Amino acid sequence: MDRYTDTRRFLAPFKTTTGKVQYLGIFILSVIALLALFAPFIAGFAPDEAVCAPFERPSSIHILGCDDAGHSIFSQLLFGARVSLFVGLSVAFFATLFATILAVIAGYYGGWIDRVIMRVVDIVLSLPFLPLVIVLGVALGASLLTQIVVIAVIMWAQPVRELRSQILSIRSFSFVEASKAMGASGYFIGLRHILPEVAPLIVPVFVRIAHGAILIETSLSFLGLGDPLQTSWGTILYHANSRTAFLTGAWLYWIVPAGVAVALTVTALAFIGFGYDASLSPRILRRKKVVPNIAKDEPSRDCVLSIRGLRVSYYSEFGKNEMVRGVDLDLKQGELLGLVGESGSGKTTVAMAILQLLTPSGEITDGVAQFQNQNLFTLSDSQIRSMRGRKLALIPQSAMNSLNPVMTIGTQLAESLNLGDKLLSSQELKKSIADWLKKVGLEEQHAKSFPHELSGGMRQRAVIAIAICNTPDLVIADEPTTGLDVLVQEEIMALLLELRLSLKLSILFITHNLSLIARHADSLAVMHRGIIVDYGSVEQVQNSPKSEHTRSLFDSLPKIDEQRRWGSSLSLEEKPVIELRDISKSFNSYDVFGLTSTSKHKALTDVSLKLYSGEKLGLVGGSGSGKSTIARLVMGMIYPDTGEISFKGRVLNSNSERKTLKNFVHMVFQDPYQSMRNSMSIRDIVAEPLYIRGIKDISLVEKEVKKALKEVGLPSDGSFISRLPVALSGGQRQRVSFARAIITKPEVIIADEPTSMLDQSTRGEIVDLMEKLRVNLGTTFLFITHDIVLARHFCDRLVVLKDGLVVEEGLVESVIESPKHEYTKALISAV
Amino acid sequence: MIHYLQLFIQYAFTLLAVLTINFILPRLAPGEPIEAILPEDVLSAMSQEEINRVLASYGLDLPILEQYWNYLIGLFSGDFGTSVALGQPVWDILIEHLPWTLLLMGTALLVSTLLGVFLGVVSAWKRGDFADVSITGIFLFIGSLPPFWLAMMLIILFSTILGWLPAFGAYQIGLAKGSIEWYMSILERLIMPATALSLVHGASVLLIARSSMLISLEQDYIMFARAKGVSKRAIFFKHALRNAMLPLYTNVMMGVGGLIGGALVIETVFSYPGLGSLIVMGVGSRDYNLLQGIFVFATFSIVLANFLTDLFYPLVDPRTRRVK
Repeated sequence: MDRYTDTRRFLAPFKTTTGKVQYLGIFILSVIALLALFAPFIAGFAPDEAVCAPFERPSSIHILGCDDAGHSIFSQLLFGARVSLFVGLSVAFFATLFATILAVIAGYYGGWIDRVIMRVVDIVLSLPFLPLVIVLGVALGASLLTQIVVIAVIMWAQPVRELRSQILSIRSFSFVEASKAMGASGYFIGLRHILPEVAPLIVPVFVRIAHGAILIETSLSFLGLGDPLQTSWGTILYHANSRTAFLTGAWLYWIVPAGVAVALTVTALAFIGFGYDASLSPRILRRKKVVPNIAKDEPSRDCVLSIRGLRVSYYSEFGKNEMVRGVDLDLKQGELLGLVGESGSGKTTVAMAILQLLTPSGEITDGVAQFQNQNLFTLSDSQIRSMRGRKLALIPQSAMNSLNPVMTIGTQLAESLNLGDKLLSSQELKKSIADWLKKVGLEEQHAKSFPHELSGGMRQRAVIAIAICNTPDLVIADEPTTGLDVLVQEEIMALLLELRLSLKLSILFITHNLSLIARHADSLAVMHRGIIVDYGSVEQVQNSPKSEHTRSLFDSLPKIDEQRRWGSSLSLEEKPVIELRDISKSFNSYDVFGLTSTSKHKALTDVSLKLYSGEKLGLVGGSGSGKSTIARLVMGMIYPDTGEISFKGRVLNSNSERKTLKNFVHMVFQDPYQSMRNSMSIRDIVAEPLYIRGIKDISLVEKEVKKALKEVGLPSDGSFISRLPVALSGGQRQRVSFARAIITKPEVIIADEPTSMLDQSTRGEIVDLMEKLRVNLGTTFLFITHDIVLARHFCDRLVVLKDGLVVEEGLVESVIESPKHEYTKALISAV
Repeated sequence: MIHYLQLFIQYAFTLLAVLTINFILPRLAPGEPIEAILPEDVLSAMSQEEINRVLASYGLDLPILEQYWNYLIGLFSGDFGTSVALGQPVWDILIEHLPWTLLLMGTALLVSTLLGVFLGVVSAWKRGDFADVSITGIFLFIGSLPPFWLAMMLIILFSTILGWLPAFGAYQIGLAKGSIEWYMSILERLIMPATALSLVHGASVLLIARSSMLISLEQDYIMFARAKGVSKRAIFFKHALRNAMLPLYTNVMMGVGGLIGGALVIETVFSYPGLGSLIVMGVGSRDYNLLQGIFVFATFSIVLANFLTDLFYPLVDPRTRRVK
């Protein structure tokens, strides 16, 4: 889960190494700039004035001596700084401006505009830039203006590429989608969202162009293409070179200073840009491995793994953060122990600490992990490595990316099978690979496949095979099913349970999915803010939890066969607010050159559905089922290929009519971290729909914002609304989203999985909020979810989607009690 | 097959675009075209009739599209016009000087890639340690130097002060062509320009190699490889380097464009008889035909390099291989 938090700042704090380097760069550059600015007062002589004998050696009057025409080299150096800085900064200004405008246009509009711009950029980038600059310089005649123009002409292209890809990623954040869904124009989004987000990236681009421009200017002048009326560092070197100064003693004062001046200036610029390129700075703090103290409690001897008093801290430039604060765990032989916790509870850190795979900034400060009569924490690096993969195995969190993309499945499996002294013959190896692939439900020929050729579920199977092929004594499964579709999750879980029995594995199963693990585990440990708050058998933890946190976790978990949690609101109206009739929609994908469409992806096929006023319609389906496409069609953000959309009985024929849907429908997005920009105040976030409608009256805006915040149960005082959303929790952010949704009193709210990224304990509150809004404001809800249990408790009617087709539709009770389609049946039996 | 055809057409298009720019540029330049052909003093002594005759002999009196067509035809038959400064066909001059530039560039490309990749990988391996900070620091600094100035410093050190290496030319004049001494003299004179070019280009390769390595070391598959007990060495060279090769490969090949420019400037410092020395002469005598010829050569080699990069990319990255 990539959470979007805005930490991008151009200058790092002074106390950090990065900051010190950056400030050093600024200092050097300032000194040079001041020298350039006050050159006439410092130099004593004009640079083009013959003031001494040719080739005069340095003296107290002419500190750096004189050139062949009797010019003071010191004076030339100072005045040269003016030219170099002027050219560098002018080029940087114009090229950055041009690049930013083009990148925003290309990145935001996409489509053919983007393709044309990027084609031109490709061509410019494949020009030999120095020869081109020379040809241009000769053609246009040597002058400062020419230099600025020709250098700018070749330097704008690379930044367009970089900025565009940044803009594409900004554009993919849902705050842009949200703004579009609220009816914002491209101009509004560009100015209000994209530009402020790109702004911090523009500075390093500017610095880098200045860096390159000064070097190119020097080369150009060195080749005799400088302005003949101006002295620059390059022209000093040009004259020195043409007089072969390096063969005489003159090199020391004629050649060295000018080069050092260029190097200093350019290095200063590189220092300033240093903080931006995180890969350049060695800023991670590496922790020395410490042998932690032995905790007071004795580890249990009859367990596979016994942890006592584990504490883990992360260190950064900004201080220390203790993530695990004293954890005790026991895993018995053959046990399946579920370690449950919400995001940030420290559960993954526990797993990584056991395997000694913490990131370099993490450190085990205390504790014991007893495994086969050894304390894992006191083992050397090579000792623990020889246990990994053989005795200790990890099935990692992000299975989708855990396979090396350039190696075949067979090679990666062979690597595990061949660990250590177990060198198998190629025949044995081949057989062993085939065996393990079959054991996890893959086929022999998949050994030759690359990861990208397999589906998500198949990749997870391959990862499991690699992890357990040496029948380890302890398996740590860290969220092994997260990110997979509900039905695939069930298959993977079933596979793990089957392997557990056949191989007698002991498994530490880490997950945030309480309902999944409670069904399968022997015992449960609930983790909250770095400590275990509940620990025992599943029944024990479930029925008599010790902590309030565990109780609220179980309470927030509805069951499919329980009584409905939220009220029913079947609409009595006959005419739907919004109706889709026989809608089909395809998306094109383009080939590498972006010129011709290669394939069509059919997102929806003949979909019909009706949304009645005041009802709660649930749209249930897995990823790729077409749920989001329907949402965007209903918002009028995309248009159908065929079929009709009508609003209150009136068919919307043209796309411009369909666009007007945005005025009546509002959407709440899945990811509360991405759906608002972190550098906007809560007031501006909530008021955005008003701004888009052109309302500028501050007092009116403020009044409406406060009303909306009150409605969603958030504080509405002046200090709260001027805060940034950074400090808000996921649940609070989602409330802000709802405040933004209701501020224009839409008839319909589309809620796109509004709870799926929230921690379990806050999910119920958000559904409570939706129910309250429906009662108070009479809003119609289109509730999109993959969670059929939640839909069962909240919605009045259900539509089940699979691969762009409606497979089932009806009242919630009848769909749940007597599902007709196989897919619906499978979904229900999976919970 | 269609894929390769598309690729070819794309690059042919790029080349055509560049050639068109090359055609348009001098025609946008201030002044009459005749001023570009003949020196001012000659020009002032000529009558309008004579001038027209000269223009006609260069085909400059024809309609612009016809000129463009003739220009393209000329290029493909190796006719780059005549050098004003040397009075020889540009094609012949270029062919004569090209081998020296190729020698210098080829050496530099090889050395800088090996050097840059090796040091970049070492820096990434030792990330944050003294070795990393010093290697990265030194090469960041070298990357901030004007390449020709670095070359001058080398001459000062190795020729002026130490007297170890000859500072000028590509071979010793007076030796029999093809003799062992002649080859040795070439090698001796290749060291400094190649070193200067390799250091400058190596600096950019190093930074790319280092950051590609660091990026691939942060990927989930590296964590998983560690979790399955693979040794640090194998993780580094088998898993991380193999993946870092992808951006490295593209970037190093794209850097060829910069390398050509760098080579041209460095040649001028060493009076190396490659294309670079022609540039200074071309600039000095405002010899458009010559400069454009060099420009076309440089462009063609970059377009060719990019084309080959794309063509062989599937060998490096299995994800871009076509399904059989």
